[in-house]
Amino acid sequence: MATGTGLHTKPAVVKAATTLLADMKGASSSLTYAALLTDDGFDVARYPEKTNGERFAGMASSMQALGDAVTHELKIGDSEYIIIASGKGHVVQLRVPGHELVLSALFDNDATVGHALAIARSFAQKASDLIG
Amino acid sequence: MAEHVILFTGPMGAGKTTAIRSLSEIEVVSTEAGNSERHIVDKATTTVALDYGEIVIGSDDKVRLYGIPGQKRFNFMWTILKKRAKGMVLLVNTDAPDPIGELTFFLEEFRELYDRGGVVVGVTRSDVLDGPSLDDFHEALERTNPGLVIPVFTVDPRESSQMQNMLLALVVNIEMRAAFGAVPAVAG
Repeated sequence: MATGTGLHTKPAVVKAATTLLADMKGASSSLTYAALLTDDGFDVARYPEKTNGERFAGMASSMQALGDAVTHELKIGDSEYIIIASGKGHVVQLRVPGHELVLSALFDNDATVGHALAIARSFAQKASDLIG
Repeated sequence: MAEHVILFTGPMGAGKTTAIRSLSEIEVVSTEAGNSERHIVDKATTTVALDYGEIVIGSDDKVRLYGIPGQKRFNFMWTILKKRAKGMVLLVNTDAPDPIGELTFFLEEFRELYDRGGVVVGVTRSDVLDGPSLDDFHEALERTNPGLVIPVFTVDPRESSQMQNMLLALVVNIEMRAAFGAVPAVAG
């Protein structure tokens, strides 16, 4: 049987994405979890690396698609980012420009939402540049 | 107006999104993403959260149509969606690797919808491949779930009239069972 076509099946992409997420942690000590995933819910890479990201990848892709459905329904253009705030931190999620990929990141409350969003945007662009 | 919430289930490629688009009288809410598994099911996009549509059957039966993502990695959505549903259209494509296995898997996974309302099975893509016959599906249902009343149809999800007939059969089934006390009455 042929292998899949998604970026999660390409070892060079997985390796580069894993390194990128480690760099993201280096750029923000408040980052506690980060994942790169395909639009259709496959885990490409995650930080910390030795965690099972399959279930979260599915959830994050559903959330991304629901965000797109909401912006379409309300006729407000494309979804730029999604934020979920909770008492223990906030999740920031956005598309990797030009790719069928999503970056989702959890920051603790030591980071402001603005800082978290800036870091996430910066690394989504880096991911885009890296994958080409 | 009576209201029904019906869940469309079945494996990726069975025709759930197409069926809801055929049936819905409103613009369908879709959550499609590029499909990374074209070596498994050769289609460009796949549902990753849900589909949603609505139709009014007869003079006063409003039916809310929800479709699940067919892949098991989205089973957290199955848990969310099955809570609100009172009946199920289970679509199985005969060109799936194991159509009978998919039938029994999804029926077991969503069995509570039979208990709360009713279930119909739609066999799709039966013209594409010499797969299991309707008798094979009936036999599998009888073997795995003896005593359940589950109508089985061959349908083309692209054909609105076929899908409406199947949906009507499900709604009648649910209302009959509610009338006879087999399931809780539908919301009025």
